[in-house]
Amino acid sequence: MAIKFKEVSYIYAADMPYAFKALDHIDLEFAMHKKTAIIGETGSGKSTLVQHLNALLIPSFGEVEVLDHELKAGLKNKGLKALRAKVGLVFQFSEYQLFEESIIKDVAFGPKNFGDDEATALNKAQKALTLVGLDATYYERSPLELSGGQKRRVAIAGILAMDPEVIVLDEPTAGLDPKGTRAMLSLFERLNRDFDKTIIIVTHDNEIVYHHCDNVVYLSKGKVKYSGAAKTFFEEGIYEGEDLLLPKDVQFINALKKQGFKLDTFDLDQAIKETAKVLKNE
Amino acid sequence: MNRLVFGRYLPLDTPIHRLDPRAKIIAMLIMLVAIFLPTGYGGYIVLGLFILGTLLLAKMPFKFVISAFKPMTFMIIFLLIINIFSIKEGRLLLAYGFLEIYSGALLQTFYIVVRLFLMIMVTTCLTATTKPLDLTLGIEYLLKPLKRFKVPAHEIAMMISIALRFIPLIIEETMRIMNAQKSRGVDYEEGKLKDKIMAILSLIVPLFAVAFQRADDLANAMEARGYIPGHERTRYKVLKYHSGDYILLTIASLLLGSMIVWSIVL
Repeated sequence: MAIKFKEVSYIYAADMPYAFKALDHIDLEFAMHKKTAIIGETGSGKSTLVQHLNALLIPSFGEVEVLDHELKAGLKNKGLKALRAKVGLVFQFSEYQLFEESIIKDVAFGPKNFGDDEATALNKAQKALTLVGLDATYYERSPLELSGGQKRRVAIAGILAMDPEVIVLDEPTAGLDPKGTRAMLSLFERLNRDFDKTIIIVTHDNEIVYHHCDNVVYLSKGKVKYSGAAKTFFEEGIYEGEDLLLPKDVQFINALKKQGFKLDTFDLDQAIKETAKVLKNE
Repeated sequence: MNRLVFGRYLPLDTPIHRLDPRAKIIAMLIMLVAIFLPTGYGGYIVLGLFILGTLLLAKMPFKFVISAFKPMTFMIIFLLIINIFSIKEGRLLLAYGFLEIYSGALLQTFYIVVRLFLMIMVTTCLTATTKPLDLTLGIEYLLKPLKRFKVPAHEIAMMISIALRFIPLIIEETMRIMNAQKSRGVDYEEGKLKDKIMAILSLIVPLFAVAFQRADDLANAMEARGYIPGHERTRYKVLKYHSGDYILLTIASLLLGSMIVWSIVL
């Protein structure tokens, strides 16, 4: 059981003059049961990459191995539905995909599509809604009358109700207020810790990557520039020159080091204590 | 959706792309009239060569032009069937029970198909080499004289350009929602009728919600920038004829003239 990309390229509008190579020979493996972030500039291929994970896109060249499915160039659209139940993909601005007359029905839509009967689907929907923090008073309300943040939580519940093994989220915190962002992050934490889900997040927010993710994949112009531990990625400052905004903690400690303080930790509290000690002794 | 070629703009930089949209629209109209003149195959060869030359000059890829014909296949087959049953002229080619195919039917169909191909090539020449916004600007300029008859030229052009601008947006939005619903197990290709209706519903409802919201946002943005329909406005882009435009119009008019003479003599 793994998620592996082998020599994967994806080209949009392949035989047109405006053909665009979104992914260029991607070799990549996602660690199971971990939280992995995908970062990179707009247009670097992040969204294209994640759409391969549940077979919405099939590689133009190469091969993607997702759980027990193999996606190869030229593959026909058969038997892919089973994969979509195992890999839940939450799109960017997912609040615009709600359509049912009541919230509970909308969340139960996914499980029903995958063959659950009405009662089982509603049961799953209730569990998912509880998980995202929406109680029974919301069940019968129309999804269209909710606030943006609540709508997005309903959309995420719609994926969680399918109980996928892997949950992929494309910019889940974009446009949320600090409170909404915090709630979202603690939800991912719980899904990973208590339910052992593999979480893959596309984001522009390096604070989230640094503080909340185990691994990071850095894409640039359709190629993988880095894939590995998130902490190492920022602390070693490998790509600092490339318009990559470092997390505030790392910036602060780097600034201290530049002033001549000798620190061998990136833990903020630890670093402050050590600095204070040095200052006292002077 | 990327397969949709007819009427699509191809961003290249060629002499044809740089022509004035008004000149191109007028030339297209002239050519369409010329195509409808009964000159026989001789005339079509002349027109076809001219149109092919234009396509070559505009560096249109062969594949692109061919795929513009695809939506026409159904129409051509339909036409062929009708003609086979209605035209009983010329030589009898095949008789099989009640089915009798005459050479006249095939020739007549071929004639119409050639005409259709020429028309599609001409319109492709225009739409593939002119940005949609330039196209509407051209239409607005050409409609201006009609203002005297209370034709709201600017408003018509504005409506066309907004509609055109929204087509790719709506397509993109459709794809996005479709993908989101596919991720929730919706199958747009297979399934029972009841599931199919549900699938379409899961697409249409969010699409309408988004479209209305977009329209609302756009209206607000236009008002915020002081847009008042019907008011006199200055333009950032002012159209001007250049020598190339005169050459195009001259050639097109000469072609039309000679086609008229040809069809009368014939």
